[in-house]
Amino acid sequence: MRAVLILLVFIAINLPTFAAEEVTLANENTIQTRIDTIGTNILNKNKIDKRIIFTYNKRTKKKALSLDKTITNRQVIIYDGLYQSVQTDDELAAMLSREISTVIKSYSGTWGGIIDSAQVTLGSKKFEIVADKRAVDYMVNSEYNPLALIIFINKTCPQKRFDRFSRHNLTSKRLARIYEYITFKYPQYLENNELIDNPYYQNFLLSSIDNRKKLEEKIQTKSTKEIDYE
Amino acid sequence: MNKFFGVILFISALIFPAVNAKELDYNYQSTYSVPIKLSITEDFSTKEPPNEGEKLQFKVVENVFVNNTKILEKDTIINAKIETIITSGMNGFPDEIILNNFEIPGIKNSQIRNEYIKTGQNRAFWVYPLKWALTPIPFVGSLTNLIKGGHAQIKTDDIITIYYYPEWK
Repeated sequence: MRAVLILLVFIAINLPTFAAEEVTLANENTIQTRIDTIGTNILNKNKIDKRIIFTYNKRTKKKALSLDKTITNRQVIIYDGLYQSVQTDDELAAMLSREISTVIKSYSGTWGGIIDSAQVTLGSKKFEIVADKRAVDYMVNSEYNPLALIIFINKTCPQKRFDRFSRHNLTSKRLARIYEYITFKYPQYLENNELIDNPYYQNFLLSSIDNRKKLEEKIQTKSTKEIDYE
Repeated sequence: MNKFFGVILFISALIFPAVNAKELDYNYQSTYSVPIKLSITEDFSTKEPPNEGEKLQFKVVENVFVNNTKILEKDTIINAKIETIITSGMNGFPDEIILNNFEIPGIKNSQIRNEYIKTGQNRAFWVYPLKWALTPIPFVGSLTNLIKGGHAQIKTDDIITIYYYPEWK
């Protein structure tokens, strides 16, 4: 009788723990399935014939000098901190497309892509913009709204003071270049803008008035020169 | 009770395959492909780059046949979209142009593997060793930052091959 009581107490203590673990695992599985579904859809619709895998990771990204797995392992890791900012499938597609475009570069060029990967790392400012543009193409080809990339970056990337000596562009410059790219290549998304009532998109419009004026001037003068965005 | 679970199992077996069998709008099973050889109608260089999204003109170099049926005549004009231009950068990084969406009459874009990438001369191969060799002399190593990579060029005698997969959706 005493043994049975001890067993019951043991089960009563541990049951919530098991249940909680099961719920956590089920949640992680749901997230991983969502990421795999959208990621694979982007790969297939864009006819990307290179192998890329997607892994959901609950830890936060290391800021230290660690090798980027998107380039070394052709593995897209979705960290929990960033995933928390994803609200719609379009935004998740934006996040994944951005990473896929970086991975693709690691496949091209000589020595199994080693040289191109090194160039991506060394010239990261330039390739940051390229990866953003390629992400827009991937999203459009897989029928996601490319304006979600603007929303995603606007929500997740902080604005630094300067970028002259940095390896990364100012976020406002990246957003302006993406907006310009969509304006020229996919104007239909701006003409029939489904995200016009999205408060995050409106926040981008508000914070990019000066840059958008520069773009309007470029369009009016039919210039092909690169705009010096702020 | 067992009958009840049996009925549930039977109904599930009927429903779930129907849910999972959602038809995709692509099917890459077929490996049969037909090469389409193209050449640009005018020399192109990224020295004065156009806007991304603009189109370049190509012509078909030779007749294209699928199962002995001619599907594309020689000299047919085809447009391709400039997908992305990567401008050259410091330390010998070259220009790069990515073309896509070749508009071929009578062929769906989903049936073509058509991304074409042309890169300019990559000078990073010798610029970086030079940079490292010069680094012991103060500030001299940084001078290699001024060396840019080559422009991407497509000449009229360059043959571009894209592949048409007639059995793809």
